[in-house]
Amino acid sequence: MPPARFPIPQGTLDMLILQILSLEPAHGYSIALRLEQISRAVVQVNQGSLYPALHRLEQKKWLRAEWKPSETGREAKVYSLTRAGRKQLAVEKDSWARLAGAVRLIFGEGGRS
Amino acid sequence: MRLLNWLRRRRLEEDLDRELRYHLDRRVADLTAAGLSEADAWRRARIELGGAAQVREEVRDVWLTRWLRDFVYDLRFSVRSLRRAPSFTGTTVLSLAIGIGATTAIYSLVDQVVLHALPVREPERLVLIDWKGEPVANAFGSWNLMSYPLCRDLQRHDEAFDGVLCRAATTVTLSIGSAPEPTAAEIVSGTYFPVLGVGAALGRVLGPSDDTTADASPVAVLAYNFWRTRLASDPTVVGRKILVNHYPITVVGVAAPTFQGVDVGEVPALWLPAAMSSRAIPGFDGLMDRRMRWMQVLGRLKPDVTIERAQAALQPWFKAMLVEDMGLPGFPTITPERRQRFLASRLELTPAPQGHSPLRRRLAQPLWVLFAATAVLLGLACLNVAGLFLARGSARERELTTRVALGASRGRIGRQLIADSVLIGLAGGACGVVLAPVTLRMLIALLPQETAATALHPNVDARMLLFALAVSVAAGLLSGCAPAVHAGRRSLITSLRERAGSGGGARLRKMIVAAQIALSLVLVIGAVLFARTLTGLLAKGPGFDTTSLVSFGVQPRGSGYSRVDGTRLVFRIYDQVRAAPTTAAAAVARYALLTGGSWNNHMTILADRRITTDREANLNAVTPGFFATLDARIVAGRDFDQRDTRAGAGPHTAIINAAFAARYLAGRNPLGVRLGVGSGPDVQPDVEVVGVVTTFSYRGLREESEQAFFPMLEGGEETDAGGNFYVKIRGTPEQAAQTIRTIVHEADPLLPLTYLRTVDEQIGRSLNTERILATLSGGFGALALLLSLVGLTGVMSFLVTQRTRELGIRIALGARRRSAIWLVLRDAVVMIAAGAAIGLPCVAVLGRLVESQLFGVKPTDPITIAATTLLLGAVALAAALVPAYGAATVNPTDALRAE
Repeated sequence: MPPARFPIPQGTLDMLILQILSLEPAHGYSIALRLEQISRAVVQVNQGSLYPALHRLEQKKWLRAEWKPSETGREAKVYSLTRAGRKQLAVEKDSWARLAGAVRLIFGEGGRS
Repeated sequence: MRLLNWLRRRRLEEDLDRELRYHLDRRVADLTAAGLSEADAWRRARIELGGAAQVREEVRDVWLTRWLRDFVYDLRFSVRSLRRAPSFTGTTVLSLAIGIGATTAIYSLVDQVVLHALPVREPERLVLIDWKGEPVANAFGSWNLMSYPLCRDLQRHDEAFDGVLCRAATTVTLSIGSAPEPTAAEIVSGTYFPVLGVGAALGRVLGPSDDTTADASPVAVLAYNFWRTRLASDPTVVGRKILVNHYPITVVGVAAPTFQGVDVGEVPALWLPAAMSSRAIPGFDGLMDRRMRWMQVLGRLKPDVTIERAQAALQPWFKAMLVEDMGLPGFPTITPERRQRFLASRLELTPAPQGHSPLRRRLAQPLWVLFAATAVLLGLACLNVAGLFLARGSARERELTTRVALGASRGRIGRQLIADSVLIGLAGGACGVVLAPVTLRMLIALLPQETAATALHPNVDARMLLFALAVSVAAGLLSGCAPAVHAGRRSLITSLRERAGSGGGARLRKMIVAAQIALSLVLVIGAVLFARTLTGLLAKGPGFDTTSLVSFGVQPRGSGYSRVDGTRLVFRIYDQVRAAPTTAAAAVARYALLTGGSWNNHMTILADRRITTDREANLNAVTPGFFATLDARIVAGRDFDQRDTRAGAGPHTAIINAAFAARYLAGRNPLGVRLGVGSGPDVQPDVEVVGVVTTFSYRGLREESEQAFFPMLEGGEETDAGGNFYVKIRGTPEQAAQTIRTIVHEADPLLPLTYLRTVDEQIGRSLNTERILATLSGGFGALALLLSLVGLTGVMSFLVTQRTRELGIRIALGARRRSAIWLVLRDAVVMIAAGAAIGLPCVAVLGRLVESQLFGVKPTDPITIAATTLLLGAVALAAALVPAYGAATVNPTDALRAE
């Protein structure tokens, strides 16, 4: 049995995409593969919402996209993080950490030190 | 900008296609590699992606926010549906085009004459400095007059000002290598260009060094447009000598292209330093006279000084100056109460970013009135379009109901209707912008002054376009909101339950028609008031006979004549004109009639005791036979004759008009009474009244003032106004004009005629403002009436169709045709009555605003209002009668079968 998966929390998809792209530039399909790996493990990502999210992030100028030959040799639209995107990722990581800390505190786990 | 995405949407779509295709291809390749059949792999890949069409839609939402995309789709849908209904589209676009075109044209005039700031550095810091109180000074010119020394004094007040300038408009006789011509010029202080911050396009502008010593700097700067049109942009003009009033002046430069002086209605061809004023105004020697007011003074406030602070800061110095002035030699002897008023005078500063303009002073109010009229007209057009939309809405009921049934939100449908009307608004606006310059050109041609034609432009500019755009969108929204609200309110159930053609916002449409009638009532009453003003003034006339009366003027002083020689020349021409075969009678006056100006002063009257007039009388000097030429009757005493015109110590006889006699000499024999010009205690009343003439108009048709006439002395030298000839002619004005030109040319080939026209023409000119108001408001009123009649007829026929069945039944049951007509007509009567009930109070309120523009009729004139209301009601009823009659001739069987 695969472990029980829960749907991805609202707004986290953008953060995941930024995180994936912070490692290296990637095209849509490879981002989808990476998402699938994550989702197989923990959360469920609907692939259909990937492309709107990518376009949204591009519109916000957090991502930059250009057509480049991929590993198969065919041209693919490759996304990479912009400076603003990197900043945004840091902001989101930080706020996420604070939220997680706050939740942990509420549930009384380990926050007592 | 997301809107940009709309423009490049094709590329975006292609990109997205390629991207999704890449995704699917890779996925299928991976899946088939994992052992799936190709068909299964495709299916799986598609399901994973969640439907390509949906992904695309979602991505498109990212590109263009939802509402924007919807709106763009709405607009496209609107274009398609409007194209399918060309007559509807045509009518609505035309309605709005008329409204927007008229509003934009008038706005452009308002903008140019009233609102537009001067094209100078920081115009918002300019203020007009004016004397409030009793200046105890002689004056000539238009308004806000000050003396040149006072301007010099103010220039020292750098605690309030960054600079002070003064200027006066004048007309000089200018020749640049060609025949001399009367030309508009501006006499300016040396500070004028530096304070305004206006530079030169060529050479240099005038500076303070050109304005230090009287008569020492014969230089001039030309206006750019004059240089371009009259001198073909000749680059060698700097350094050239020109003749101003026959006096050589050197051109030192051409001013910046956009700059046209500080008076929007009087564009100068050249600027002359004030130091040269004795040449610019022949014989003028009042430059350094503190008691001679003739220039407007403008100051540039320091950046951190408010107008109130500047004004307060100036008063102590000003008060001290008043006291000092009184002690100066040459200060006239005045009565104690006048001295008190003089000492109570103060300086007043008013913001003057638009400069100073008599044209604006005269036209601002009529223009705002017209602007208000066009706004009402536009409102009416909007109502018309709203009505048409409602009518179309009921025809489109089925489409809209179906869309609601299919799940369209009410807001969405409302938005669709707004998109329709905004589109119509923009189309109307586009047509309006095309119409506006044409209208504007006609308007400018109607304007009172010849100069206005050079000062105002009929071109489409950015401000006008912006205004038209704003008005179009507003008009679109306004005309769309009623139908949209109506559509939003309709419930699906009732719509489906109702039969075709019923409902359809009958109440809303009736309200719209009532409002239309109210608005057109306001406009039509306004138009009638202005028409009555114009016809009243025309019917009244100037009080003398203008048939075959031609008038022309010469200014010998502008061509280098001395005073005595100038007067001699005038008399020489006068003798020639009198002897000409085309002349029945002729006379000369110093000052022209009906031009708005006059020679005026207080008078001292010595009858059995000495009194001074309580207001200024209008004065003139005329030759014997002047009154006979005008056909103005001498009611007592005699006309001037040879005894009076002999050159001597000055005039010793005078003729007063009936108004003068009635105001100051009531019940006394005016003959033999003695007069003096001026009101000071030192005035010698030594001029004997020898006659009384009937009252006629001098400055303008509206005025019937107290006047006094003196004989024009042969070889006299009392003024420099030149000669204004009045000639009763035989034959056609053209023949007479030819004779007159020949006579003047023979007297001096270089002497230009300042004007030559019939007196009727002159009257026409003097009534230009009234004519514009009457013509335009009449036109607007007619358009308004037309629009509301169209609206009324539309609603009436709609109501009739709606009640066809009911009427059929009634007639089948034996109702009379007449009662059927009445049944329908009742609605029309209610609408018209409601319109009048709304409109009449508006007339009462708005009437006060136009009161000063009227003559011989009150804004609440009961006859005008009652007649107009009745007439408008009758016309509206007649328009309603056509569809109502149709209702009565309904064939009952047809009406019932139509179900």
